[in-house]
Amino acid sequence: MIEIAALTLKELVRRRFVAGAFVATAALVALTGWGFFYLNHLHEARGRPVTHLEVLTMTSVLLILIAYLFSFLLAMAAVFIAAPTLSNDIETGVLLPVLARPLSRGAILAGKGVALAIVIAAYAILTGACEFAIVNAATGYVPPAPAASLAYLALSGIVMTAFALLLSTRMSALGASIVAVVAFIIVRLGGIAQNVGMYYDNETVRHAGTLTQLLLPSDAMWQSALFRLEPAGMVAAMSDAHVWPGPFFTTAPPPPAMLVWTCAWIVAVALLAARSFALRDL
Amino acid sequence: MQTDCANVVDVEHLAKQFGHVVALVDLTLHVRKGEIFGFLGPNGAGKTTSVKLLAGLARPSAGSGTLLGYPLGDRRARRRLGYLPELFRYHDWLTAREVLALHARLIGERVHVRDLDAALQTVGLRARAGDRVGTFSKGMQQRLGLAVALLGNPELVILDEPTSALDPAGRLEVREILRGLRDRGVSVFLNSHLLTEVEKVCDRIAIVTRGRVVAQGTIPEIAGASAGVRVRVRENGTPLTQALAEYGPYTRDGEHIFAPEVHADRIPALVAALVAAGAQVYAVEPASTTLEERFLQLTQERGA
Ligand SMILES: Nc1ncnc2c1ncn2[C@@H]1O[C@H](COP(=O)(O)OP(=O)(O)O)[C@@H](O)[C@H]1O
Ligand SMILES: [Mg+2]
Repeated sequence: MIEIAALTLKELVRRRFVAGAFVATAALVALTGWGFFYLNHLHEARGRPVTHLEVLTMTSVLLILIAYLFSFLLAMAAVFIAAPTLSNDIETGVLLPVLARPLSRGAILAGKGVALAIVIAAYAILTGACEFAIVNAATGYVPPAPAASLAYLALSGIVMTAFALLLSTRMSALGASIVAVVAFIIVRLGGIAQNVGMYYDNETVRHAGTLTQLLLPSDAMWQSALFRLEPAGMVAAMSDAHVWPGPFFTTAPPPPAMLVWTCAWIVAVALLAARSFALRDL
Repeated sequence: MQTDCANVVDVEHLAKQFGHVVALVDLTLHVRKGEIFGFLGPNGAGKTTSVKLLAGLARPSAGSGTLLGYPLGDRRARRRLGYLPELFRYHDWLTAREVLALHARLIGERVHVRDLDAALQTVGLRARAGDRVGTFSKGMQQRLGLAVALLGNPELVILDEPTSALDPAGRLEVREILRGLRDRGVSVFLNSHLLTEVEKVCDRIAIVTRGRVVAQGTIPEIAGASAGVRVRVRENGTPLTQALAEYGPYTRDGEHIFAPEVHADRIPALVAALVAAGAQVYAVEPASTTLEERFLQLTQERGA
């Protein structure tokens, strides 16, 4: 298992995934950082002074937008790295001589899964931490619960990794990627439906939305991360104004039970993937 | 189930279906310890499918068997198994030496760099040990696959068309390697559609066609030892009818006589009788069914 995990990490490094992701993400973080520095030095706009409080408020909103886009990026990265790692090895035949060795298919899948989960979680946490640090350096803003929000983001990435791996035990890399991305978007819309249902007190819509969150908890983890980025003042103001909560804002994050559900979901999907892979003819 | 310790492969009535495609109908095989076993068949006969069932890469739809004394699919058997797939592909972003090191770790053995290089030396890749597999030609990748299959002192080596990408010199080297394995008591299961290759090295063979084993045994057993004699003679006045009388029916075309029922050990007597009758004998050629003829008979019979 450890052999396969090490091999998977080595492949990501050798194939320049790591270097490519590092350079591209560093550029992303640097550019947003430059934006925040610029914002902080904006002392006057339209003949009106810009207060530091205004800068902080604007920063908190912008940071949520960036996190929202990053959650997409993270899901895509998880899917596009996880889906080919098994499918391509099966299709090219690279796995045949490996599988003729005395290790179980479960161990191969576990090795790949663990390596990918570590890479995706590390990517989410490192990128997020760098972004928070640069925002803090530029404007002095600190989100309410940075560590918790990064942990939830990482979990949403792991959810997508597990899901893509499960699909790739039976589908081509491209097929698995497409299905995983579409499912991710359906579930994100499901999250919005859940909010709409709550806003209009419509049980049917709300339950339909909740069901999608349970089937693929990637959006539930995003909403949990999102809530940890919302300053208390913002939540209070939005609740008072009875603002419609969209995907960028929530006053009712998923309950703690959702975290337990998500962890159990990851374990169950991993077991299902191992079973599906074990029964497959190669 | 009873397992015969002298056999490395014992399978009974294995069948395999892929959806609607029936790849294997009835595979009953016994491969003895220490022999080179040739598994011959035309394209699509089910050779690769059989090998995948043996190596535990696919599950049989019916039937059962043992590999190295363990039930098919048991991981313990794979500890002493070497396998070269028909479609050989190795991690192309690793070097040849790293591929071998990976497999050494997967077998769970401590193998020194020296041993890895020795393995590469055997297949003629020593000079390219540090190069990435992605830069190798097809033939070099097949050689690497052979080195992987031979790693860690396996008891049974399964090779699926091991020379498909090799040049004539490479094919010769593979034959030498196979004989070396036999000398060390390693059993070899050789999948091939190349009759000459199989004829040159195999102790016993099985012929498979349309998913069934249609013949199994040594090459003489399958090809048939003799099928008459051809003689070229010129008679010296006396007709040869009498001399040939006790050798069964024959056909004659000018100087050429073909007597299909003469067994190999009666050929000298026949020649002596012809000479005694005053004939001049120019050529004597025992006619035997070649493996190729027998193979074509067996594999085409069922097609009719
Ligand atoms: N994965 C598969 N799915 C569907 N059919 C297959 C599969 N593998 C093999 N077959 C079919 O099984 C038959 C035997 O194939 P194979 O064992 O590869 O033959 P050989 O190795 O003797 O050339 C062929 O008709 C082939 O098309
Ligand atoms: Mg084949």
